[in-house]
Amino acid sequence: MRIFMVIMTAFLMQVSASTSAQQVTLKSNNISLKQVFTQIRKQTGYVVLIELDLLNKAKSLNVDLRNASLEEAMNSVLEGQNLKYLINNKSIIVSEKQKSLIDRVVDYFQQINVTGKIVDENGQAIAGATIKVKGTALVAISDGEGVFALRNVEENAVLEISYVGYQTKEVKALKDLGNVKMEVAVGKLDEVSVNAGYYTVKQRELTGNISRITSKDIETQPVTNILATMQGRMAGVNIVQSTGTPGGGFDIKIRGQNSLRDNANAPLYIIDGVPYASDALGSGQTSSIFPFPTSVSPINNINPNNIESIEVLKDADATAIYGSRGANGVVLITTMKGKSGKTKFDFNSATGFGKVTRFFDLLNTTEYLAIRKKAFANDGIANYPATAYDVNGTWDQNRYTDWQKEILGGTARTNDFRGTISGGTANTQFLFNGNYRNESTVLPGDFIYLKGGGQLSLNHRSTDHKFLLSASAGYNIQDNDQPAADLASSVRYLQPNAPALYKADGSLNWENSTWENPLRNLNAKYRAKTGDLVTNAVLSYKLLDNVTFKSSFGYTNLSHTDSRTAPSTVFNPALNLTSQRSGIFTNDTKRSSWIIEPQVNWEKDFTNSKLSILVGSTFQSQTTSKLYLSGSGFPSNDLIYNVAAATNKNVSLNEETIYKYQAFFGRINYNWKERYIVNLTARRDGSSRFGPGDQFGNFGAIGAAWLFSEENFLKNQSWLSFGKLRGSYGITGNDQIGDYQFLNTYNTSGAIYNATTGLQPSRLFNPNFGWEMNKKLELAIELGLFKDRISASAAWYQNRSSNQLVGIPLPGTTGFTTLQANLNATVENSGLEFTLNTVNLQTQKFKWNTNFNLSFAKNKLLSFPNLASSTYSQRYRVGYPLNINLLYKLKGVNTQTGIYEFEDLNNNGIISSPDDRQVIVDLTPKYFGGIQNQLSYGRFNLDFLFQFVKQTNRTYPMSTVGAMVNVQRRFTNGWLQAGDTAPYQIYTSGTNSKAVTANSFYGLSDATVTDASFIRLKNIAFSYELPELIKEVKGRVMLQGQNMLTFTKYEDGDPEFTTYGYLPPLKIITAGIQLTF
Amino acid sequence: MKHILSKYFFWLSITIVLSSCDSFVDVDLPQSQLTNVAVFNNNLTANAALADIYAKLRDGGITGGTNGISVQLGAYTDEITVSNGSQLPSLIFYNNTLLPSTPNIATYWNAAYNQIYAINSLIEQVDASGALTAEQKKLLIGQALFIRGLLHFYLTNLFGDIPYIKETDYIKNRTVKRMTTELVYQNILADLKESYLLLPETYISAERIMPNKATCAALLARVYLYQKNYLQAEAQASLVLGQTAQFSLSESAKVFLNTSKETIWQFQSAVVGQNTNEAQVFIFQSGPPTNFSLTPSLVNAFLPNDARKENWIKSVTNGTNTWYHAYKYKEQNNTPTSKEYAIVLRLAEQYLIRAEARAQQGNLTGAKEDLNKIRERAGIGNTSAQTKEEILEAILKERKLEFFTEHGHRFFDLKRLDKLDATLSGVKPGWNSTDKLFPIPETELGVNPNLLPQNSGY
Repeated sequence: MRIFMVIMTAFLMQVSASTSAQQVTLKSNNISLKQVFTQIRKQTGYVVLIELDLLNKAKSLNVDLRNASLEEAMNSVLEGQNLKYLINNKSIIVSEKQKSLIDRVVDYFQQINVTGKIVDENGQAIAGATIKVKGTALVAISDGEGVFALRNVEENAVLEISYVGYQTKEVKALKDLGNVKMEVAVGKLDEVSVNAGYYTVKQRELTGNISRITSKDIETQPVTNILATMQGRMAGVNIVQSTGTPGGGFDIKIRGQNSLRDNANAPLYIIDGVPYASDALGSGQTSSIFPFPTSVSPINNINPNNIESIEVLKDADATAIYGSRGANGVVLITTMKGKSGKTKFDFNSATGFGKVTRFFDLLNTTEYLAIRKKAFANDGIANYPATAYDVNGTWDQNRYTDWQKEILGGTARTNDFRGTISGGTANTQFLFNGNYRNESTVLPGDFIYLKGGGQLSLNHRSTDHKFLLSASAGYNIQDNDQPAADLASSVRYLQPNAPALYKADGSLNWENSTWENPLRNLNAKYRAKTGDLVTNAVLSYKLLDNVTFKSSFGYTNLSHTDSRTAPSTVFNPALNLTSQRSGIFTNDTKRSSWIIEPQVNWEKDFTNSKLSILVGSTFQSQTTSKLYLSGSGFPSNDLIYNVAAATNKNVSLNEETIYKYQAFFGRINYNWKERYIVNLTARRDGSSRFGPGDQFGNFGAIGAAWLFSEENFLKNQSWLSFGKLRGSYGITGNDQIGDYQFLNTYNTSGAIYNATTGLQPSRLFNPNFGWEMNKKLELAIELGLFKDRISASAAWYQNRSSNQLVGIPLPGTTGFTTLQANLNATVENSGLEFTLNTVNLQTQKFKWNTNFNLSFAKNKLLSFPNLASSTYSQRYRVGYPLNINLLYKLKGVNTQTGIYEFEDLNNNGIISSPDDRQVIVDLTPKYFGGIQNQLSYGRFNLDFLFQFVKQTNRTYPMSTVGAMVNVQRRFTNGWLQAGDTAPYQIYTSGTNSKAVTANSFYGLSDATVTDASFIRLKNIAFSYELPELIKEVKGRVMLQGQNMLTFTKYEDGDPEFTTYGYLPPLKIITAGIQLTF
Repeated sequence: MKHILSKYFFWLSITIVLSSCDSFVDVDLPQSQLTNVAVFNNNLTANAALADIYAKLRDGGITGGTNGISVQLGAYTDEITVSNGSQLPSLIFYNNTLLPSTPNIATYWNAAYNQIYAINSLIEQVDASGALTAEQKKLLIGQALFIRGLLHFYLTNLFGDIPYIKETDYIKNRTVKRMTTELVYQNILADLKESYLLLPETYISAERIMPNKATCAALLARVYLYQKNYLQAEAQASLVLGQTAQFSLSESAKVFLNTSKETIWQFQSAVVGQNTNEAQVFIFQSGPPTNFSLTPSLVNAFLPNDARKENWIKSVTNGTNTWYHAYKYKEQNNTPTSKEYAIVLRLAEQYLIRAEARAQQGNLTGAKEDLNKIRERAGIGNTSAQTKEEILEAILKERKLEFFTEHGHRFFDLKRLDKLDATLSGVKPGWNSTDKLFPIPETELGVNPNLLPQNSGY
């Protein structure tokens, strides 16, 4: 560029020409060069061309020439000047002795115009690739067809071609380069750009800790919840599925539990820059099918197939810019965007089935009845009670049903269809995506979960590249039809010789009112409909060369209605209950929010360094309205969904809550020689969840990285391709405490007396609570070896949460069981996280990559002043994790009485809580992780992931052994007679109160603690790329499986699953086909 | 020029980015809430706060709902059989295998103290209110004190030594200690006596759904009886029985109608047409019953011609077996207008209280006179009891027949007369003498060690 510019701006002085002789005669002292050239022109007619600059700079001189030839004259005149000359035609060109105007002119004639086309590994055009002439500022961007043109490139120049996700390529400049094929980057840290929320940063320049999965990881998994797609793939991120019922939630903890409040450990979710509220949607009255508190998780609204990448921000450096909402980590979700090029159609269809992963090992009829009969014998009851139908002869004692198989053993079906159309030009790209999925359940009956939605995304860049617009809108609906309650728990208790479910005529069998047919509960329905709109727009304008103004706008609107019916048909028909006893509970929740985030970014390149500064602010408002209705007494069960038809109508809640949030944030990033990087982030947050005076808090972090592999002493090591040490420290906060907690108010209870609707005190009053603080410290090393074929990282972190905002449990005597307040306790989460990615084999045909992650996490209550006298005295212990249980210590079964005996810790002769319930058991996972292998051979691809967790858990609590309920098979090993040494105590039908009491202590004793570690083939995906039958039509067939194999010692069902009494996660296998053209 | 413009835009954008209004994060009160002060600046909302307390007494906790003491104490003693396969928590009560961790125990405790908090909050705010008139304040506080006394009365009878909570300060209430039963009773009496002074002679509303002076006296009579203060028990019962214009015994079939003149205090149903929880819980149409039936021993204790057996008990048969259910409340479903409300206090109890008090004081004739009033209404003639002991025994039996499945009378009677073990040991295999007290909820001991030790036996 500069050459061209110089030529354009050069001022050429023309000296008038003469056609006479070519001899020069001139004598003068202290004459200017200009005068000399004037004379030469006059005497010889030769024009002298010289840059004005040079002429002015030239020294005055003494000249003594007599009939000198032109050459002699010029040699003499230019002697001592840093100038040279060239006689050409009728002109003399004078130039600087070094790089001269002439040289440049000469160069100019040796330059070429370069054109070419950038294509990907499949020969598809890549738009937006950067083509740079190495060592110059000459740059071009490939257009929608992948084509670029560069004018005036020196013939021997080298072009550097780069595109995100591909290896940077260098080629020699040629007039026509033809197709330049890019190679996908394999573990190349340089190339991967990571979304850090308010800014993006190259992986290698990252100062914080960000884990990432992309659509490549997501598309192999036949699941509907994005949290499921992350399981086992990210270090430090522990995700547990809380129910196998479709539409249910997941529990996610990023680097452990920070807050003592169980429901305040959720990360912040951000979709394309718009915060997405993850607070559960259901109400206790309606969504009892799902476990609390994950209940109805809005995260289900996000369609995994439409996600380009998910980034999880973990340390202070990455999260502090999210201030008060960053304490539990941030999950950034980026939806797919269109790419320029030919309009591309992509269709995908899959179908599959699901089964329960693991059942309990329960008693069969023979074992069960033996225990029951022994129990009555032990109790001294010879005549079986009239209601003991299982043993007194009322029920067939030879009958055996495996109730788990009978009721939960069905096959769930899934069908999934989706299509994407995308394309655009170099300046404008679009993507449209539509999807539909249905999923039935393992239960008998027509229960189904439907999910569908669409997403439109548009990107535009003005031709001068100064203005950018990126907008997207997505709408997803869910329609869930399930039974009102989870049957898993009640099915486990059913007596193995209980009667048949159906009568011969197909109706429910009540066996003369001797049992409660479990299928009756299927008549009570849970129905939910959710619609969710997420829109966002980012406008950005380059004000000056290094200043960009940007603002993002977001709007979300979610509507969720659900209902639970309690029809009279759940009761035994013998009760003659009519629809007058039927009832319905409904919940209508609407949540909408808007956000505006204006930002200014300033960047400057210095010789050796780069500085960028970002400042911005946030204004956010979220309105939630809830309406809970219930009705009972209907003229007919057909009218049950019409609350207006109910005899009794009740509005138990009608409220609108507003959450407002304001912040200022900033980032300063300084990068010196791409070797030393410092990143400062800060945020000042204000939240309406706190009382006046406590609304604002300050948060911030410093992060630094040293790319030691760039140091001279390591730079040319063949084995080390990348090496970085980094660290960060900072403060983040947490405001997940619910709205209006600082107010002293009464609210309507919905209860009516004397024709007046009641007002009840809302809570115990405490206006003075403030932010919870979370200080995070991290140190990490990242390495790339052998041209990044092996990349590894190790990170150590220590997070401390203090000023805990807690619903402090209070004794009921205060009127309430909790009080919102700051508690001066500190919780520490520390751990080590390792990742290892290797390219094991890479040939033209065969590729094999392995990704491994492993996290060791420790959680510890560091301090808790006056714990012993606090309301937490029986829940926590200083120096131990939060997730502990305090239990009785089982001594064993007394060989004489046959009753469990426990350690009497306070030696007062009786076993009682809390004094004797002091054995501490830690249920925090010790370590967890995943190992993924990706293999491809020609057209075949195989991808599988093993997830592993090392943990202990409690066994599933069952009732007294010998009562009229089924129990685990291990209890056959019970005490039978005096002198027996047995692991389990004497059987009782329920009247031996000592045994009943001991059984309840047993359920709360260390004997229930067991190894619940597991290794699970979480995901396996196999695909085959079909040969191209029609030109440009590509096809792929896929076989995918989730939760395929589980290896564990845990006896009571699924080991992943920590919520008692709910349907475990399902094993899902799907087959699908994909067409792209 | 362009440069200047850009600079201008730069500073403009910086201003936009950093602009703020401090009040942005201030939010208005949510529409569904009122501040404490506002609630008690208006008699209507103050009464809504009181209405909520009544509604909670009716719908849950110790006194109401489908898990109240009418059901559970019936199962706990010898009134109700709970089916072996029942999924209800009542089975634990029936087997007498309560544990400190039994959820229903914590529910009783927490619900009662939550209601007490609401009462104390009301008393404090009404006292402080500048807007309510003296007359309005008298009515509100009078009712509140009555309920506070009632709830502590039930608590102490179920749990023994308990804290008596009179203020809302959670800092004090979280470390509160248990008070001896004797001291609890002193507080109950103080509250009821003060309430008596504040409450009006006549009912505040036509349906006897809020207490008046007579209601307070009726409860006082019971409290004195439990304390074995027979002089006062007789006096208070006489006070109620003397109000013949207001109260009279109804015929058996009509005792539990909401228009009965025997009623001293009842819980109004939430909505017009709704009837009682009792009817919903106890009535079944076909056998065998899924949950509750009356014990054969109770049913057999009635004389064949007892009108109560005829009117208050119903039999259900499947051809081979016969079961019985309580049928005091008959309306299982809604009716155009409510026919029955759950009755808490009724006149028959006052006769039997006075009979017992008189017998204990040696007035055997007076005692028999009162006892016979109840027998007469049942159509079973006068008592044959002669001696003091016989009369007391007859009164206890009469109470069993009269008050079965009503708010735990049977349990409390056996307990105050120290007859639990003698009566239940043979009948209930799971019975232990320490079962006379419920355990203090486990969570409660965990969060307030001052409540230790646990009641014996748990």
